[in-house]
Amino acid sequence: MPEIKVTPLGAGQDVGRSCILVSIGGKNIMLDCGMHMGYNDDRRFPDFSYITQNGRLTDFLDCLIISHFHLDHCGALPYMSEMVGYDGPIYMTHPTKAICPILLEDFRKITVDKKGETNFFTSQMIKDCMKKVIPLNLHQTVQVDDELEIKAYYAGHVLGAAMVHIKVGSESVVYTGDYNMTPDRHLGAAWIDKCRPDILISESTYATTIRDSKRCRERDFLKKVHESIERGGKVLIPVFALGRAQELCILLETFWERMNLKAPIYFSTGLTEKANHYYKLFITWTNQKIRKTFVQRNMFEFKHIKAFDRSYADNPGPMVVFATPGMLHAGQSLQIFKKWAGNEKNMVIMPGYCVQGTIGHKILNGQRKLEMEGRATLDVKLQVEYMSFSAHADAKGIMQLIRMAEPRNMLLVHGEAVKMEFLKGKIEQEFSIDCYMPANGETTTVTTNPSVPVDISLNLLKREMALGGPLPDPKKPRTMHGTLIMKENSLKLVSSEQALKELGLNEHQLRFTCHVQLQDPHSDADTLHRIYTHLKSVLKGYTIQHLPDGTVIVESIVIKVSSSAEDSNTKVLLLSWSYQVKTWTLFLERFTLIYNGVLPGG
Amino acid sequence: GGLTFTFDCSAQNHVTSKLSFTVFYVKLYTEIHKPFSFRYKDLHVYQLEHPTQVLEWTSGNSVCVAGYSQSKNEILELRLPLKLLADENKSLCAERDFKVSHGGFTDGPVRCLTHIPGTRCAVTNDGLSSDLQVWDLGGEESDVIRRTGSIKGKRSASERGSRIAARPSSAPQVLHGAQISDVQLTELASGETLYKLETDSADPLSSLQFVSDTVFLAGCCNGSVYVADTRTSAPPQLSHSPSSAESVIWWTDAAAGPHPSSRRVIRVSSSGQAVVSDLRNLGGAGCQAQLDVQTPGRCSQVKVSWAPTLDDCISVSGFSGVVQIYNTRLWGAEPQEARPLFEHRGHAVSSQQTDDSVPTFVTSHIWHPERPRTLLSAASDGSVHVWDWVDPNRQGGSPTP
Repeated sequence: MPEIKVTPLGAGQDVGRSCILVSIGGKNIMLDCGMHMGYNDDRRFPDFSYITQNGRLTDFLDCLIISHFHLDHCGALPYMSEMVGYDGPIYMTHPTKAICPILLEDFRKITVDKKGETNFFTSQMIKDCMKKVIPLNLHQTVQVDDELEIKAYYAGHVLGAAMVHIKVGSESVVYTGDYNMTPDRHLGAAWIDKCRPDILISESTYATTIRDSKRCRERDFLKKVHESIERGGKVLIPVFALGRAQELCILLETFWERMNLKAPIYFSTGLTEKANHYYKLFITWTNQKIRKTFVQRNMFEFKHIKAFDRSYADNPGPMVVFATPGMLHAGQSLQIFKKWAGNEKNMVIMPGYCVQGTIGHKILNGQRKLEMEGRATLDVKLQVEYMSFSAHADAKGIMQLIRMAEPRNMLLVHGEAVKMEFLKGKIEQEFSIDCYMPANGETTTVTTNPSVPVDISLNLLKREMALGGPLPDPKKPRTMHGTLIMKENSLKLVSSEQALKELGLNEHQLRFTCHVQLQDPHSDADTLHRIYTHLKSVLKGYTIQHLPDGTVIVESIVIKVSSSAEDSNTKVLLLSWSYQVKTWTLFLERFTLIYNGVLPGG
Repeated sequence: GGLTFTFDCSAQNHVTSKLSFTVFYVKLYTEIHKPFSFRYKDLHVYQLEHPTQVLEWTSGNSVCVAGYSQSKNEILELRLPLKLLADENKSLCAERDFKVSHGGFTDGPVRCLTHIPGTRCAVTNDGLSSDLQVWDLGGEESDVIRRTGSIKGKRSASERGSRIAARPSSAPQVLHGAQISDVQLTELASGETLYKLETDSADPLSSLQFVSDTVFLAGCCNGSVYVADTRTSAPPQLSHSPSSAESVIWWTDAAAGPHPSSRRVIRVSSSGQAVVSDLRNLGGAGCQAQLDVQTPGRCSQVKVSWAPTLDDCISVSGFSGVVQIYNTRLWGAEPQEARPLFEHRGHAVSSQQTDDSVPTFVTSHIWHPERPRTLLSAASDGSVHVWDWVDPNRQGGSPTP
């Protein structure tokens, strides 16, 4: 039976990292290659020994696809590609290709410089790995080889995030990565067509969440900023990705305008450079005709938001500053943080996850005394706020996506099957499809029912339709007779006559005969007539004819009567029928019994 | 100079997505541009797949909701977001979402859902008959809410269905009935009827609740209130309706406070009349008010509730998309127009309803049992809000507890 195998790599109930192996139509594909941010040892990397115990992965994988630039989806990429070894194609969207190396390099710096680790990938490895990347455009089918094709769909969530459709022959799989079903200010909602994949693979963690509205998060953000400004404090917002910073800037600008606030808002120069870089990325992304955001204007042309100069940090009075990098691990945001940390009127708002080892991570864990360079300690007196603005799908979103794509089976990774019975039941009930929930390291095999397209000759189709009866239905298939001709790569169904003609063969007819003995004193002709009358009365609805040549025909069965040579009271019935009428043997037996009953001897 | 945005959503849904996003943004823009008075300490807004008519606590941090469509529905147990409950490290907690901890399927609508205290058991009624369904809400090992049994009621067909009240302590027992003469107390384990209310009246019930472990109050739709004790077969005390108007429907809530003196009863009518009386002297002089409700008369799911920890505060919903909080201490013996102390307008303002001809209305609301000003409210468009309101009279002072 044709089947697709899916294995989420990793151990136990680990949720922190995405790396999924799919075997479809003889091809092996790896989906994402994430790093687990919670571990400091080798457990943070996916367990590639599942694929091969020794050496390089090139021979075992046909391709690797990365859904988006978050480290729990791409963090282990340089390790896998350069340290374990993989030289095959790596696919990701253009923005992901541009942003990935920056995040990986940041992450590498933190891990090696801050945490002093030695067995980690190097900057050169990141560069070498990115050379293997083939960028994807949205909705464009890419032939990985002559059997495997992939296509990227818009996923929302972050800039460049994609859901990916993988097809080999008539079997296909869609992997969602992280996605979002409600539009953002600068990102749209995920979208996919009714591609009807055999399996739709998604995260189970969202399925049991009902998300608080974006408005409430924004309201909270504005409230916190306002409270600080009102008491004369300064607010630092470390950001990395342009997208998020852009949203928060718009929010503040609008709020400032309405509330007629005077405190200055700044964005650091590091951000401006990145701004133009990402602006170009946006344009490339939007050239895919999915979304146009903030076009035709410089993205930072705000009335209330100005460029920052490092000397401003010492200015008295309230202000808000957006600065990079996002985890407070170096650079301008850290400098500003050091200046402002000692004043309890100030505030730092962390808009996203911070990697272990960074100052951001420490203060989000409640640490109030930090060790800085040169043994100096920093007292953290300012207010620390953790606000998550990341856009994820939830229970409702998953159902919407399933409705869009119409998969034949659903597969949810990173969940505990025992604790997801309700969700499984819900999906199975609502869509009448199977829902699988493999544990990490466990392989799920899904049997597919690939449909093979066959052309049918018009004559044959007309003939079948003329037979009447119900129209064929995917749920109620209808059997028909025909000859299947396979020529080169095409299949066609024609009538037997046409097939014989094409093959230049003669048609042979098979007829079966049998003799039935009866006791009947009448003449042959009379016996035949009585048989005719009798059949007409018991076999209603069938075509029964009495022909002048001395035969009775029931549909296509021919009946002749002759007397036995020895005894004229013994009649011999010759019945003959063609190959198609096998079922008539049952009627034959019935006929004999009835006849013997109706006409008692004489 | 304002900002202009053009959003082209997916290629397929070009025009409609553009339009709906614009509408959303306009609404949001307008909402943010309202005077930013800090009316809320906390506000969380959620959208369920299907609207609920029931909100019932199953613990201090989890609540049950259930659908009410004609055929299949879901019962969900939702865990409140960590950020709401975290008092100390609130700022370091980013978790704002509901977690669906358990779920199950029903064959019909759920009009009433009651949790049995001290157990993982809940009892529901579908509003079509007076039969009850019994459910196991599930534990650590499974996330499925399973039907474990049923309790036969007196009526096979009922217009409103039964009201249900769980006995506060002792072994799991439920008081239930669709009309006053049907009220009975059933033991869950055995299905045995332990008590029946002896009365001939066939008035349909709009509320049923225990005010102590054995004493209960049954409020009828016509406004009359019965008080009885399940330990005796003595006839109940009856307090007649405050109004004799026939088309008026009444809803009742009793404050089940620790002291008998704090046990008051409020009755609210579909015309917005509110009457407060003492539980021990229901017919006596209490206080009254004419509530400031829009569209009085057009309501089917009015809920009135005493605040568990705030003296004299009551909440009302069901007349529109607004939840109102009143301070009854300001009410007098003569019915005067009362102004609400606080109004939660979220459901009306940010309605997710697709059909604009039917305005969104609040289907239910509940107070958190311990947090003084935290409420949950649900509306007909599927929205569920969790909000912690700021008392406008105390604004500007020290942080409210």
